[in-house]
Amino acid sequence: MEWEILLENVLNALAAGITIGCIYGLMCVGLSLIFGIMRVVNFAQGDLLMLGAYAAFYLVAAWGVLAFLGPEFGPFVGAVLAGPIVFASGWVLHRWIVSRVSGLRTAASLDEGHYGQLIVTLGIALILQNGGLILFGSMPRAVRTPLSSSAWMVETGIGDATIFLNKARVISGLVAILAVAALYWLLERTRLGKALRAAADNPTAATYMGIDVDRAHRVAFALGSGITAVAGGLVATYLSFTPFMGLDFVVIMYAGVVLGGMGSLLGAFWGGLTIGFVQQISALFLPPQLQNAAIFVVFLLIVTLRPQGLFGRSAERA
Amino acid sequence: MLDIEGFSVAYGGLRALSDVSLSVGEGQFVTIVGPNGAGKSTLFKAISGIVPPVSGSIRFQGRDLLAVPPARRAHLGIAHVPEGRQVFKTLTVRENIEMGAYTAAGRARFAQTLERIHELFPILHERAGQLAGTLSGGEQQMLAIARGLASAPRLLMLDEPSMGLAPAVADLIFERIAQIHREDGVTVLLVEQRVAEALELCDYGYVLETGRIVLEGPFRTLISDDRVRRAYLGLGE
Repeated sequence: MEWEILLENVLNALAAGITIGCIYGLMCVGLSLIFGIMRVVNFAQGDLLMLGAYAAFYLVAAWGVLAFLGPEFGPFVGAVLAGPIVFASGWVLHRWIVSRVSGLRTAASLDEGHYGQLIVTLGIALILQNGGLILFGSMPRAVRTPLSSSAWMVETGIGDATIFLNKARVISGLVAILAVAALYWLLERTRLGKALRAAADNPTAATYMGIDVDRAHRVAFALGSGITAVAGGLVATYLSFTPFMGLDFVVIMYAGVVLGGMGSLLGAFWGGLTIGFVQQISALFLPPQLQNAAIFVVFLLIVTLRPQGLFGRSAERA
Repeated sequence: MLDIEGFSVAYGGLRALSDVSLSVGEGQFVTIVGPNGAGKSTLFKAISGIVPPVSGSIRFQGRDLLAVPPARRAHLGIAHVPEGRQVFKTLTVRENIEMGAYTAAGRARFAQTLERIHELFPILHERAGQLAGTLSGGEQQMLAIARGLASAPRLLMLDEPSMGLAPAVADLIFERIAQIHREDGVTVLLVEQRVAEALELCDYGYVLETGRIVLEGPFRTLISDDRVRRAYLGLGE
């Protein structure tokens, strides 16, 4: 039955799109948080993702710190723990480098510090990539889990069509959703989160309230780094990677963030999800080399029709 | 409480304030009036640490304020209600007030101050869940004042609270400011262009013109000064 096979393929692509899309969504949220709070476009975001993948790799595979958790769940705990590790890296990067070209220091300058930020974050990207090459080596790595080669099978009840849900990806997707939910809760409900939003909304007024805007930016940069690193740890469970993996993903992140509307956190998640979706669906009828082309065709379409992004407001906030 | 001495501020070589000295006593209501561009807002920004001075000193309750980082100054008990309101537009009314209470003193007394704020400005209670950006100008001004009050300040600095408001709304705002000073015992430093209303409220006033204090004195002295009457109150000989 020709159509049954087609249906099965489409359903499986949808399932893969949703699970991978959640992971993409998570990495986009990290980038979006940094842009949303600091107004800094971070070109090193892909390399923070790479750091997350290697953090998970060293914790789980190389040093085996998490070996006691077993090969099934150790990798996912490793991915989550990559968050705080890269959070600390982000904190240090901001404290010593990024803060010098951003925040109140440059808010009053003519270009709002964007040229400096471009150069500095690109520089950080190059240093992380090549530093990674020195420290981690060029050999492709992976965080292996037996779950990535087994699946839950869901009978659709339509003929013999069955959906195969790759266990590693489903768990990754769930971890990603939980991480986004936790971040959303932090920003919407806690005093820290509200202070971060106030600092983003009006840095001068925030200072009048007693909010240390530079510190708020540091927290935002570190949080954004950590969130993307968790996504990196999750990617590591189904893909082998090198220190240059960031280059592939930074493109996805930018597309996702712009799709969702710059500065909108949940928008970035939906944007990433959309990208994952389009990528997997396009795999049905396009050769793998053209998958990224498909992403950008859809991207251009949406941006042409809705320049503010799927979830952006039509007017730039003041 | 607040003592400013020999204070000068320059923007790129241009003197915005030169040799300004003024003081605000505990519990006083002090007004600074003057035309546009006289340096009134610059003075407030310098007190809050947003613009650095060229020379001079600011002491707040005997403490050298210039040695305190800008973001720490609110924690000493200084609330700055800025020109043009500057509410957090993407936060709700309630969240704006919570951010006003970012200081330890504000947090400790949040329940009481919130009740007081709703008593002074009932509309803010009604609009608690609304984004501040969707409020009218008058409501935003009320919110800006409420946000200042939420920090449980010792000194409330108000920068042109009547700017761009309809006369009736401006009157209400002035009335509330007087009430806050009278009933809550907050020291008030007010900068205004509506000179008559502003001077009427104050214990002591300063006239600032092109960065210098040209006249100062208690309400009675200022209101009967010929220069003030001619230039600001539109009263003839």
